[in-house]
Amino acid sequence: MSTRTNYSIQETPHFQILSENQKERIYNGMVRTLQYTGANVHHEGARELFAKAGCKVDGIRIYFPPEVILNALSTVPPVTEVFPWNGDESKKITIEKDRSYFGPGPTPPNFIDPDTMERRPYLRKDASTVARVCDALPNMGYVQSLGSISDVSNGLADVYEFADMIRNTTTPIMSWSFTRNGCRDIHRMAIAMAGGEEEFKQRPNYIFYGEPISPLVSDFHAIDKCIYCAENRIPQVYSPCAIGGGTVPATHAGQLVVALSESMVGVIASQLISPGTSIIIGGVQSILDMRHSIYSYGAPELSLLSAAHTEVVHYCGLPMYSQSGCTDTKKMDMQSAMEAALSINAAMMSGANFVHDNGYTESGLTGDIFQTVMDDELIAMARVIEGGIEVNEETLAVDVINNVGPGGHYLYEDHTMKWFRKHWQPTLMDRNSYESWKENGEKTMKDRIIEKTRDLIKNYEGPKNSVPEKASQEIEKILKEAEERIKKDPDS
Amino acid sequence: MSIDLEKISEAITKGQIEQLQEMTTQALDTDTDPGVILNKGLLPGMDKVGQLWREGEMFMPEVLRSAKAMSKAMEILRPRLSEGDLGSAGKMVIGTVAGDLHDIGKDLAGMMFEGAGYEVINIGIDQPNEAFVEAAMKHKPDVLGMSALLTTTMPRMGEVINSLKESGVRDQMAVIIGGAPVTQEFADEIGADLYAPNAGSAVDLTKKYFAQQ
Repeated sequence: MSTRTNYSIQETPHFQILSENQKERIYNGMVRTLQYTGANVHHEGARELFAKAGCKVDGIRIYFPPEVILNALSTVPPVTEVFPWNGDESKKITIEKDRSYFGPGPTPPNFIDPDTMERRPYLRKDASTVARVCDALPNMGYVQSLGSISDVSNGLADVYEFADMIRNTTTPIMSWSFTRNGCRDIHRMAIAMAGGEEEFKQRPNYIFYGEPISPLVSDFHAIDKCIYCAENRIPQVYSPCAIGGGTVPATHAGQLVVALSESMVGVIASQLISPGTSIIIGGVQSILDMRHSIYSYGAPELSLLSAAHTEVVHYCGLPMYSQSGCTDTKKMDMQSAMEAALSINAAMMSGANFVHDNGYTESGLTGDIFQTVMDDELIAMARVIEGGIEVNEETLAVDVINNVGPGGHYLYEDHTMKWFRKHWQPTLMDRNSYESWKENGEKTMKDRIIEKTRDLIKNYEGPKNSVPEKASQEIEKILKEAEERIKKDPDS
Repeated sequence: MSIDLEKISEAITKGQIEQLQEMTTQALDTDTDPGVILNKGLLPGMDKVGQLWREGEMFMPEVLRSAKAMSKAMEILRPRLSEGDLGSAGKMVIGTVAGDLHDIGKDLAGMMFEGAGYEVINIGIDQPNEAFVEAAMKHKPDVLGMSALLTTTMPRMGEVINSLKESGVRDQMAVIIGGAPVTQEFADEIGADLYAPNAGSAVDLTKKYFAQQ
């Protein structure tokens, strides 16, 4: 018997934007920026923390010496798990290199009404809808709300969103909040769903999303929430929306330097507070369209920048929060599909770990669940490509080829029976013959997306009836207390 | 030696800030009428910029450079201009409301107004309501601009408008608001005069508004 020696397998396609040297130079650009330009931190406690760690503090400006950056990077865990609250192992998230999860995005002010298809403000009921639909979509690995609720007390959109979403999906949620108080309320709700504080620590069931302001500013609430998550070991994202040519240089390399530096402030804060706590960085990377002054979510630069950023973030040893499936169009059309297809494939091939904004339209200003449903199919297709080709004796099938010989067919073969089901089957793409397409009502892709989405909204129940009564009561109690808090102090 | 007003226009369209400042100073030194410098040099330059922008020949950073050049030239020219020369170009106070540290949209809008010849007093980010009212009382602007990116800070805009009313100065200025989550409905609700969906449209909307008054 012989074995292959010194044999290397390429299991998945390899897609690379930057060389090792280029990554190193961008990384060093970040180190130089944090050391010599520094970042503004509008939080006294955080400034004291940084000062104690050896950073130079000048007013609100913090200068980070290289050793502080390196120390922080050395304690970020290589792997962290996030558990669905009902224990469904198939929906467990493992935050680590080479694993990718796609999902919607947070906080656009508008939403495409599922009934009228018109743009309107995002409402409380939409959070449940998005959670439920995403719960049913097999390619949504985590869930965000696609909006900021407009019809609850001002300042409580964050907590209502989480309260409603977690009871309508077991897919782990990526939540956000205005302040530490909202962050704590969400944490308490998650604890209620986990069945206790100790249980939550063992099995965290959500990820928190926070965002510094580009360029190089961590406002009070951003860093305050980052610290809260670190203190409580809540896996978190800390990533900016860097606007190429606007808040960061117009050159892509320069953009990556600034964006990486902005995130790194959160990485350092989190690791100083609690070494080993999980943090994901990255954020929206695209350009400012200089003709229409919008932040383009459909630009090819978004895909290029995000793929390159993924490489640099992985070079730092951190997990990457990327984006795809988003568009600048206002209504579902060919442009929304074209832009989504390109960015989803690029994000998939780049190996980004969390890929958000699947369902963003109008340059991030409107959430659209129909877009998310379309994206779900595109993600499935991209996964097929990313899956690569298995090459071994069995798949080479030389014996089967010999059996069938020239001129035959493979339809009866055991080998075919075993393998053909691995071919991907669409749920939305049309592969009908002309006749059956005509017979079935000549439906376009748009028709099919609408039909599938509305069917899920109408008929898919989600887990709401299996939410433990005690947890649900606790969530209602937390909401009531949040109302009292905001009544007392609208800015709390 | 007389100054070539066409060169002044050209320096505006090319965004040549320092050259334009020199030319403006030189024009004044050679006794060119300040009103003529404005109306035959600077404003035609900005009109050209507007035209090139609409035709897609110029992009935002170039327009902003021209606007900056315009505002720097106006700094030199303004003290020498008579009331009549100023025409519609007035004064603006602009800022981001309390609790909000986002400034790029507000800055873009301010720069666009500068380009239109406005004297813009940018009071900065995270400004408490009183700061807007104080600036309004002190500078007596024709336009007060407010920006917010967070839904939580949007209500501050309505509060500022109420404070302006209480101080009795609300009617002396047009209030324009903007920011990603801000809408026309919200502007109507809080009693703002104008809502601009983006920085580029703010000046045109304001001009139209004053033309209708």
